[in-house]
Amino acid sequence: MTALVETARLPFARRLRSHPATRYWLMTAPAVLLMLVFYVYPIGRVLWMSITIPEPGLDNYTLLATSASIQKMLWTTARISILTTLVTLVLAYIVSYALVHATPHVQRWMFLGVVIPLWISVLVRAFSWFILLRREGLINTALLTAGIIDTPLSLMWNEVGVMIGMVHFMLPFGILPIYANMRDIDRRCIAAARGLGARPFEAFWRIFFPLSLPGVVGASILVFIFSLGFFVTPALLGGGKTLMVAEYIKVQILEVVRWGVGTMLATMLLVVIGVLLAVVSRVVNLRKLFGAG
Amino acid sequence: MEKQTFAEDCQEIVSELTQKGVSRRDMLRAALAIGIAPAALTAGSRTAMAQARKEVVLVNFGGVAMKAFDEAFVQPFAQHGGRIVLDGSGALNGKILTMVKSGHVTWDICDAGITTLAELGPQNALEKIDYSIVDKSKLLTEFAYEEGVVNYMFSTVMAWDTSKIKEEPTLADFFDLKKYPGRRMMRKDSQAMLEMALLADGVPMDKLYPLDVKRAFDKIGTIKKDILFWNSGSESQSLMRDGECVMGLLWHTRANVLRSETNDRINYTFKNGLLQPGLWVVPKGNPAGKEAFTAIASMQQPEGQVKLLAAMGNGPANPAAQSLVPAELRAMNPASPANAAVQAKIDANWYKANHSKTFQAYLDFISS
Repeated sequence: MTALVETARLPFARRLRSHPATRYWLMTAPAVLLMLVFYVYPIGRVLWMSITIPEPGLDNYTLLATSASIQKMLWTTARISILTTLVTLVLAYIVSYALVHATPHVQRWMFLGVVIPLWISVLVRAFSWFILLRREGLINTALLTAGIIDTPLSLMWNEVGVMIGMVHFMLPFGILPIYANMRDIDRRCIAAARGLGARPFEAFWRIFFPLSLPGVVGASILVFIFSLGFFVTPALLGGGKTLMVAEYIKVQILEVVRWGVGTMLATMLLVVIGVLLAVVSRVVNLRKLFGAG
Repeated sequence: MEKQTFAEDCQEIVSELTQKGVSRRDMLRAALAIGIAPAALTAGSRTAMAQARKEVVLVNFGGVAMKAFDEAFVQPFAQHGGRIVLDGSGALNGKILTMVKSGHVTWDICDAGITTLAELGPQNALEKIDYSIVDKSKLLTEFAYEEGVVNYMFSTVMAWDTSKIKEEPTLADFFDLKKYPGRRMMRKDSQAMLEMALLADGVPMDKLYPLDVKRAFDKIGTIKKDILFWNSGSESQSLMRDGECVMGLLWHTRANVLRSETNDRINYTFKNGLLQPGLWVVPKGNPAGKEAFTAIASMQQPEGQVKLLAAMGNGPANPAAQSLVPAELRAMNPASPANAAVQAKIDANWYKANHSKTFQAYLDFISS
């Protein structure tokens, strides 16, 4: 009897054993299903709307070439995102370098300083900058009383303010990947370079810096992608004059109900981010960048 | 920060003013009482009357508007056997349209404005107001539209900082940086801003429409680099309070709060302001059908509207309510005859034809 049951069950069991992939697929099936229903399908709908509203066709996409409004907004988005990324990278690199070379005790405190802002809401942070940067804020008051300046500096309500807020938000996302990469660099390489007669800067520039580049590339992509979708900071610190793509899409969807235009821009954002990730995955290990393994 | 509608901002003001006394739990309890108690009661005593009359879901922007609406509108309607259930989730244009397009409408009446009319009317997403039920004699007919009807009045007004500007400025002074140096403040929305720019440029009140958009942009352009644009009502309030701006165009409700919280340091005037209606709109295919209009008609009672003025600063839409307004509230009532006389009135027809493109052009203009 037992043997009979065994043989009856065997083909299925063997199939499972001979194709471990099948087993893994079965185990992930609920998650995959969930993604399909709640993620892929809605996104599919968004793509579909972008080519069917108000009429079937690519009219919404031709706006990219014809609408001065959309072009200007995209240019603003790109300009601010690129500048934010550059400034963030420079600062993040310096902090990471200091982090790697600090003693474990100092390192712990530094890490706390890097990570704590991550837990504070973006809204709260924007308002904190407001207190520091505004006309009668801490920085201007201090500089005025110290006699360094005569008239208050325009630190916010412009792109300078937006950039300050965004860079501050992005710093942890820049620091963490660069730090992770630097930590894995074999310090003996530097020692060897020094032993062979390289001056300190030369050892850094020709040995350490090239080795840290994958971290820099990873960080830049992470920061740039986040910057593209920024909404709260530009709206609060830009004095209403900095219109980026996220806010533009919101206006199209919720206020003037031009859903075709809104979904077209959302689709473009998705495509741009997808392409960037694809390009960068050839340079760095994305799984490692996003925390796996 | 999210851009706000006027209705959304009203509840926020009251919640800020009363927050010290009212805990979140109280509000939740109030919301529960409003939303669930009527349902529980009717479940207990199902009279034939209650069976026959449908429940009307009214959407506003939540928070303390729940309590104010309950006292002003829900309870009086209940006394006549009707049932209004409040939903505080906020009826933005996009949300209403999503409901109507998906064929699953759960809202009956939405607290909205001219732009809802302008954007959703052409999309065929709104029911026509049934004026055989809603009484045109209880409102100013110029604010009774085919697909929306006035529920209260509000104004966009000019406020100024009396510590920097001693005598009362004119609207033209708003655009005169030589006379009064300092930053100005406008809304990140074309509605009322274009009108006030044109008034300042010398266009007579009764000749505003059709708006000369280019002329308005040119006027705003003369001081654009010195303007901050606000998204939310609370932002407009803090920009004036903190001295970031010396003059600003903002909603009268926020101006009222500013005046009292700064002990008159910030003052404002209705003169050359723009009087605008808040509107009830009914999404196409609403579940309660005609009962929605019966509810709207009930909310035309002057007593309830005066309660709303006292609670939130919104001006009564029913002219008969003016005589019931207590003396101390008259000065802040945008719809009082004295205040209405010095303001321009918005023209919804122009917005129907032009809102979408004008608003977009305005956003492009201020961000360039």
